Amino acid sequence: MRYGSIIKVPFGPQHPALKEPENFMFEIDGEIVVGVHPRIGYNHRGIEKAFERRTYLQNIYLAERICGICSDAHTTCYTQAIENLLGVEAPPRARYIRVIIAELERIHSHGLWVGIAAHEIGFDTLFMYVWRDREVVMDLFETLSGNRVHYAMNTIGGVRRDIPADTVPKIKHGMDFLEKRLKYYLNVVQNEQTILKRTSGVGILKPKDAVELCAVGPTLRASGVKNDVRVDDPYAAYDEIPFNVVTHDGCDVLSRIIVRCEEMLESINIIRYALDNMPEGMIRVRVPMAVPPGETVSRVEAPRGELIHYAKSNGTTKPERYKVRSPTLGNIPALCKMLMGAHVADIPIVLAGIDPCFACMDRMTFIDDKTNKKWVWTMQQLRRKTRK
Amino acid sequence: MGLDHATIKEKDKKMTTETFLIILQILVFPGAFFLFALAFLYEWVDRKILARIQSRYGPLYTGPSGILQPLADFLKLLSKEDIVPMAADKILFTLAPVFYAVLPLTTLFIVPVASQKSLVMFEGDLIFVMFTSALMILTVFIAGYSSTSRFSLIGGVRAALQMIGFEIPISLAMIGPAIAAGSLSISNIVQWQQTSLQWTVWLQPIGFAVFVVCSLAEMEFVPFDIPEAETEIVAGWRTEFSGRKLALLRLGRDLELVLASALLTSLYLAGPQQVWLIPPVVTFMIKTAFVVLMFSLLRAIFARFRIDQMVSGMWKYLVPLAILQVILIQLGIGR
Amino acid sequence: MEKENEIAEKLKKHLKNNVFEVKIPRERRIFVKIGKTALKDAVKYLVHELGFTHLSTITGADTSEEIELIYHLAYKGSIELSLKTTVPKEKPVVPTITDIIPGAVLYEREVHDLLGVAFEGHPDLSPLVLPEEWPERVYPLRKEYTLEKLRKLTESTES
Repeated sequence: MRYGSIIKVPFGPQHPALKEPENFMFEIDGEIVVGVHPRIGYNHRGIEKAFERRTYLQNIYLAERICGICSDAHTTCYTQAIENLLGVEAPPRARYIRVIIAELERIHSHGLWVGIAAHEIGFDTLFMYVWRDREVVMDLFETLSGNRVHYAMNTIGGVRRDIPADTVPKIKHGMDFLEKRLKYYLNVVQNEQTILKRTSGVGILKPKDAVELCAVGPTLRASGVKNDVRVDDPYAAYDEIPFNVVTHDGCDVLSRIIVRCEEMLESINIIRYALDNMPEGMIRVRVPMAVPPGETVSRVEAPRGELIHYAKSNGTTKPERYKVRSPTLGNIPALCKMLMGAHVADIPIVLAGIDPCFACMDRMTFIDDKTNKKWVWTMQQLRRKTRK
Repeated sequence: MGLDHATIKEKDKKMTTETFLIILQILVFPGAFFLFALAFLYEWVDRKILARIQSRYGPLYTGPSGILQPLADFLKLLSKEDIVPMAADKILFTLAPVFYAVLPLTTLFIVPVASQKSLVMFEGDLIFVMFTSALMILTVFIAGYSSTSRFSLIGGVRAALQMIGFEIPISLAMIGPAIAAGSLSISNIVQWQQTSLQWTVWLQPIGFAVFVVCSLAEMEFVPFDIPEAETEIVAGWRTEFSGRKLALLRLGRDLELVLASALLTSLYLAGPQQVWLIPPVVTFMIKTAFVVLMFSLLRAIFARFRIDQMVSGMWKYLVPLAILQVILIQLGIGR
Repeated sequence: MEKENEIAEKLKKHLKNNVFEVKIPRERRIFVKIGKTALKDAVKYLVHELGFTHLSTITGADTSEEIELIYHLAYKGSIELSLKTTVPKEKPVVPTITDIIPGAVLYEREVHDLLGVAFEGHPDLSPLVLPEEWPERVYPLRKEYTLEKLRKLTESTES
C-alpha cells in the first residue's frame, strides 16, 4: 500500500554500514523498500587488464591482492588454472596443505562476517567476542606463513611453505578452542531473542529465485540448495576428505548466519582430518615459464561462494586473457530480490547477509596505479556526487 | 521605635549569607558542578563496564583507570570546529543542544541528591519531571529536524516515535510510588520510604521493571538506541552536530543517565539516606552507581530492536504491565 | 567422462551444423564453439532440457578481428560447459539471455561496459563498473586500448 510520495535514499558510496564503497539507490515508501538500483565499481583497480601485462609468476601476487579476506581462494583458483594449462599437477602433500589453508581462511572469513553481522544489528558485544576468538586463526596464519593476511602459500606447481610437524599440535589446540566457542555462538544465535527478532524472516530468498538468479555460496545454501564446489567439482584434496555440505531451509538472514557457523565447524573437522592424513613428499614441482596455448576454467569454493577463473594462454609468458568472477557479483541480483519489500532498518543486515566483498567484485579494467593523482581525483568526484 | 542601623545591617547580612548559600548550593553542591562531575563519573562507569563485558579495556590512560576520559573527551570537543550545515535552521540548530543539556540539569534540582529534601521541592514536582522528559524528546526531534539532513530527519522522527512507545508506561511507573506515599513530590516519596522503612522496589517490583525498561528507551540505550543507530543512519539526529554543540549533547546524555538513575533511586530505592556515619550523598552515589551498572549490563547483552518492533512491544507488553501495577496498588498490594 | 560425452552428443544432435567444435579436456569440463545465430537456442536447450541451470559468468575476450563471448554454464554445480561464440568487432550485437536466466543481467552489463557488446533485449544496459565521466565508446578490455592510451584519454576528461 502506498501512503505518500517515494523518497530516494542513497546508501553509499561512503556509509558507516558499508565497510567498502558501493552505491545503492533505494526507493523508499515510508519505511519499506520498493526499488533497488545497485551501482558498483568504486573499487576498480584494473586487475584483469593488469593480468595481461605480467608474467604468470608475477600474477600470483596480483591474484592474491584481489581481496584481503579471501586471498587464498584466489591464488588457489589461479594456480590451479595455470597448472591445468601446463598439464602438471601439484603433489599430494601440497594439495592437502592447500586444503588446510583454505579451510583456515574459511573460518577466519566467516568469523569476521559473524562479527560484522552482529554489529549491523547493534549487538556489539557479540562482535567483540567473535573477533577476539578469531585472533586464534590469525595467530595460526602468522605461525604458518608469517602474515595475518596475504599468506602467499600457493605457487604454480604446489605450495611455497610446508606445515612443519611441530606446528600441528598448535593448530589442533586452536581448533579445539574454536570448536567450543563456535558451539556457544551457534547456541546464542539460535536462542537470543533480540537477534532472532532482527534476523528471522528477514531478507527472504526463495529456492526458485536463488537458482534462477544464479546465487552462490552460503546465500544459496541457506535457501536449501545443496551446491558446493568442493563436493560437486572437487579440487585440491577435497575428493579424499569426507565432510558435510551445510544447508538450511529458512531462506532468511538467520539461516545464513547458521549456515556459516556450521560451516566453520565443518572446516575444523576438515582441518583435523587433513592434518592426520597428510601424505609425505614434495610440496611443489618445477614448472616452465612459458605456458602452451590453451584455455581452461578453474573453480573454487571461496568463503563467499563459487569463485571462477577463466584463463587463455598464447604460448608466451603472459596470459592472453584472464577473467575473474567473484562470488559477490553472483549474489547481487539475488540481493536486489531480497531487498524488495524490506524495512529500511533491515537494509544493512540483509546487505551484510550475502557477505559482500566489493574489493573482490569490482576488480575490472580501469587505471591500475593507485598512487597517481587519478585515483585521488576519482574519489573527490565520488564525494562531490554524494553530496548533491 | 523602628529598626536602627545595627539591626537592619544584621538582617541584611543574614539575607546575603542565605542568598550566597543558595547560589553556592545551586552552582556547586549539590548543584551544577557536583552534577557535572557525577555525569562524567557515570559515563566512565558505563564505558568501563561495557568494555569489560566485551572483553576490552575501555578507558585506560587518562587518570587512574581512565576515569578522566569523559572530561578529556568533553574538553576536546569544545575545542573542535563547530560546523553548521548550510540548509539548517540556525536558531533551532544552536538552541537544541543547549536545551538538551540544560533540561536534565534543571530536572535534577528536583531530585534529592544530598539529603532527603531536594534543592527545589514542591507538591507536584513529579509531574514536572514528566513534563521535562517530554520536552527532552521534543528537543531531540527539533535537533534532528533543524539539521535538515536525511539521516537526522529519520533519527528525529524515530525518537518521536519512540516516545509514543515509552511515555505512558514510564509515567504510570512513576505514579505507583506516588500513590503509595500519598504525595506527588519526589522528596516526600523518598521521605515516606525512609520513615516507613520499606523500599518501593519490594512493594512494586513490576513498576520497577517497567521503569527500568522505559528508562533504557528514554536514554536511547541498546536495545532502544534506534534514533541513533550507527549502522543505519550514521548517527541519527546527532549526525550534523560538531564541536561545542556536540560537547553539549554529550554532556546532556550523561546528565540524562544521572537523572534516570537518580529518579530510579529516589522513587524505588529510598534515595539518599544516612546510614550510621555515612553521609546521605554517599549512599545516593552508591545506589545510583548500582543502577548505572544495571543499565550498562542490559546495554551489553542485547541487540537493537527495529522501531516498529519497539513501539508495538511497548504497547503490547509494557503498558498492560504498568496498568496492572497500578491496579494492584489500588487493591492494596504495594502500598 | 561418460556424462560429458553424453551431453556433447545431445547438444550436437540438437544444434546440427551450428556446432563448430567440441573439446572435453578433462572430466567436468566441456568447451563447445557454436555459431552466433544458434546462441539463444543452445542456451535454452542447455538450461531447460539438459539441466544446466546455473550460469557462472559470461566472459568476453578481444581476439583482434572479433570479440569472443563465452557463457559458462554449470550442471548441478558440477560439470562446467563453456559455450563459445564470436561477434564481429564492427557490429558486436547478440541477443540477451536474461529471459532464460534472470541471473545473467549483471554479467551482460559488465561485458557491455568493458567490451562494447550490445545485448538486444536486455532490460538495463547502463554502466556497471566504469564511472560516469568515462569517455564514450572507450572499451578498456579491448586490445587496442593499452594502459598508456587509456591514461591519455581519461586525462582529457579530467578537467
